[in-house]
Amino acid sequence: MKRAILAALGLASSFTLPASAEDIKVGLLLPFSGVYAALGNDIETGFNLALEHFGGETDATFEILKEDTEVKPPVALGKAKKLILQDKVDVMAGIVSSGVLGAVRDLVHGANVPLIVANAGNDEATGANCSPFITRMSFSNGQVNRPMGKWLHDQGIGKVFTLAPDYAAGRQMIDGFVSTFAKAGGKIVGQEFTPFQKTQDFGPYLAKAKASGADAVFVFYAGGEAISFVKQYDSFGLKSDLPLYGSGFLTSPLYVNAEGPAAEGVITALHYVPTIESPANETFAQAFEAKTGRVPSEFAVQGYDAARALIEASKTGANDRETLANALRQVSFEGPRGKLSIDPATNNIVQPIYVYETVMGENGLTQKVLAQLSAEADPANGCEMAPVSK
Amino acid sequence: MAHDLGFWTLQTLNALQLSMLLFLLSIGLTVIFGLMHFVNLAHGSLYALGAYFAASLAAVGGYWMGFFLAPVAVAGIGILLYSGFIKRMRKSGPMAQVLVTFGLIFALLDLTRIFWGDLALAIEVPSALAGRLDFLGVEYPAYRLFIIVLGVAIFGLLAFVLGRTQIGAMIRAGVDNDAMAACLGINVERMFFVVFCVGCALAGLAGAVAAPLLSVTPDMGLHVLIPTLIVIVIGGLGSLKGAIAGSLIYGFVQTFGAVLAPQLASVLIYALLAAVLVIKPVGLFPARG
Amino acid sequence: MFRHNALRYAVLVALSLAALFQALTAEYFGLEILTEILILAVLVLALDMVAGFGGQVSLCHGALMGVGAYVYALVSAKAGIAPPVAMASAVAVTGVIAWVIGAICSRSHGIYFIMATLAFGQMAYAYVFEAPVFGGDDGLSGISRLDLSLFGIDLDDSRSFALFCLAVAGAVYGASVMTLQSGLGRSLTGVMHNEQRMRALGLTVWRVKADVFGLSGMIAGLAGVLAAQHVMYISPGLLSWTVSGEALVVVILGGLGTLVGPLIGAAAFVLLKHEISAWTDHWHLVVGVVLIAVVMSGANGIFGWAEARWGGWLERRMADATRKHEQEEVVSDA
Repeated sequence: MKRAILAALGLASSFTLPASAEDIKVGLLLPFSGVYAALGNDIETGFNLALEHFGGETDATFEILKEDTEVKPPVALGKAKKLILQDKVDVMAGIVSSGVLGAVRDLVHGANVPLIVANAGNDEATGANCSPFITRMSFSNGQVNRPMGKWLHDQGIGKVFTLAPDYAAGRQMIDGFVSTFAKAGGKIVGQEFTPFQKTQDFGPYLAKAKASGADAVFVFYAGGEAISFVKQYDSFGLKSDLPLYGSGFLTSPLYVNAEGPAAEGVITALHYVPTIESPANETFAQAFEAKTGRVPSEFAVQGYDAARALIEASKTGANDRETLANALRQVSFEGPRGKLSIDPATNNIVQPIYVYETVMGENGLTQKVLAQLSAEADPANGCEMAPVSK
Repeated sequence: MAHDLGFWTLQTLNALQLSMLLFLLSIGLTVIFGLMHFVNLAHGSLYALGAYFAASLAAVGGYWMGFFLAPVAVAGIGILLYSGFIKRMRKSGPMAQVLVTFGLIFALLDLTRIFWGDLALAIEVPSALAGRLDFLGVEYPAYRLFIIVLGVAIFGLLAFVLGRTQIGAMIRAGVDNDAMAACLGINVERMFFVVFCVGCALAGLAGAVAAPLLSVTPDMGLHVLIPTLIVIVIGGLGSLKGAIAGSLIYGFVQTFGAVLAPQLASVLIYALLAAVLVIKPVGLFPARG
Repeated sequence: MFRHNALRYAVLVALSLAALFQALTAEYFGLEILTEILILAVLVLALDMVAGFGGQVSLCHGALMGVGAYVYALVSAKAGIAPPVAMASAVAVTGVIAWVIGAICSRSHGIYFIMATLAFGQMAYAYVFEAPVFGGDDGLSGISRLDLSLFGIDLDDSRSFALFCLAVAGAVYGASVMTLQSGLGRSLTGVMHNEQRMRALGLTVWRVKADVFGLSGMIAGLAGVLAAQHVMYISPGLLSWTVSGEALVVVILGGLGTLVGPLIGAAAFVLLKHEISAWTDHWHLVVGVVLIAVVMSGANGIFGWAEARWGGWLERRMADATRKHEQEEVVSDA
């Protein structure tokens, strides 16, 4: 592979490797072209940063093989097969879109290759379709939004109108919120699912939301759709009468600057915010900014923690597919997001959720953390997981 | 679902706004086709370029600089495309043209990624148009009203130029029969060139106008191409009347479809298109019978 | 009408041998690429049949392939019906849909035909994307391959599956040649060259167009079944209009209306894409430029160009021979 990068990186120059060092082959499966290219680049940058920061803690060295999924499931599956069958990687990491994860799930499960998911959040991957070989270091769609339901109701909001793109992730994000919001006593007065990646003008839906008599609007949008949505929401003047809440991807640092003042005052919940005050986050955020000139996004931290998890697993002496899979399921550490661990019942990450408001700071828009909601494991959702072997 | 009059006024304005944006895009494409029998699938890419130019220029000199200069810049790209490819492809069949411009879509998509990166850009609405206006009893964003007014103004201007001026008469003669027009002493080649550039400039203008409303991403050209093609096929290739009719049909079907039958909204427009093609294979108002 | 000539036979034999050699010797990724080429080859054979011999430049063949893939997936994975039956129903359903599209579009020509087929393709795409039964953007997984264990063949093995696709592609090539050489195929080419005259001769033009389009759709549906079995997972992206556009690109790259050319085009396209994407993320740019260059060169693709050169060489040799002969005659006269 021409793009193979020997990523002994930081440690190679500082001291000589012990002769017994294990070489672990890592297949990095990310989109570097297509709509999610920006996400793929952020995850990769985060991944490499963690190898630099923590690579010295383990005896193992990592050889990274990078493949572009183009966000197309068939392409991604072909690349995954290549990594597993031809390059014989010991572990894979990455995967941005849920579609791609759905496509490669059976392959990695059948081939017994551990996969560290660094973004894709579909609930089934750590639910009905869970696998002892798939460990998710990012989030699940329901997990990010569930804590927000109760929190929003506690703020005195009784009636909500929801909006999201019409695809599985959009529905799961909204379902996660609705389940806890309704349980807390809230009422959903209207729900719309807009054609995914086909909707450019949200005007018709915004008019519906306005006419619904809701106290607030809760939405999930990401990427270009998030930018259009937030700007159009503001341009209709809805923000003052009908405050906008949502899943934190709506105002991700990756594109909040493109949203501009329209994003001010929007309150959302996410598993990472670049302004979390902790030494681990400061180290990470500063290093990321030094490298890219940008504030780290949740995608960057997912890449960072995915590599960190791999290093932690290798520290236990794990060095092949089976031992790595087993070790990955037991990692826990204090990262930029706070205390992280893996739920042995589903292999999904357990992490705190941050409610934050987008506010105008000295250097443009920034995130003000309003609340840290405690970590909760996802319900098993039909997952029957093989137990961890000690 | 009971909605008051204001709700429907609001949705009508939404539909009009979408229609006018599509009109700006489709008019260039349809007139280029009518006059030159040339199908430019890369028209959507020119729209994306317009948005990118506007975003870059707005960062330097504010919104209006982008608004006025982005169409000029896109027309400049149009000149390059014309002299590089289009002129030579004029006599080829529609398939060769479709393919060359399909190749251009690929190439321009990646060029925008190389120059502007993968991250979405955005422009702020100019302060003069930032607020909302009371209009027919509803509060509507001023910028959206501006788009509607701009669309209507461009339509009026084109209707006047095409219908009442000598240049318009020459263009219509060219659409009807370019060989005959050439015999009558009209410099058809030069006319083609000018019309092509104006078409490109209008696509660029549409991009610049849409940028503050949406986000500026590399694939925005690809997303807008299909709606634009639907508009001109429904309306009939080559005519101003067809472009405005097609745009209005698309805008209203899409907007009210989203309100009344959200599950069917996207299939509805294709079904309508198929119906038009079955009943009138050349569209509702083709330039030539 | 389609005719084989020496060059076509030679290239066909060379291609088959190369594919067979690759299928028997390649390691994993080589087999993957070969299978990808063969599936694309089946699709572009279907497209060349209508575009190259009937002038029906379709921009919905990607969608037809997707329909085949989805019908197969629904019938086999969701309804749990045996793969052979699922395959047959996928091919049949796609054929019927294609026949209807062909019948409706038979009155449209040139750019209108392109646009009309595009519209139908997008309609299918939008429907599959939105209807919950198709799994939306997340697609459908758990698709199984044909079970040939009865014959001692395990299609889950990449090498067997590549050989299976090669056999299917060969059969489809044979079927396409037979169709084009039949009365139906000849009528179609007649319609392409002069529709008025064929009508005057008493031919039901729309029926001919619809029938061939339906047959072509069946082949595209078969390509879809293969694609679904190959990846064992499908998503709506399969029906996107850019897939149709790429198929058209492959036909043009290889040589329109030559059947052999599109096969070369399929191989060239897939190899080019893999080679370029290995060293840059901007492979679209390179593919776009190559496409523009090929079309603007005025040659009928790679194979068309080769055939023209070969034809020229053949002609010159014939001319030389006649000239020599004439000279001899002159000498003997004197």
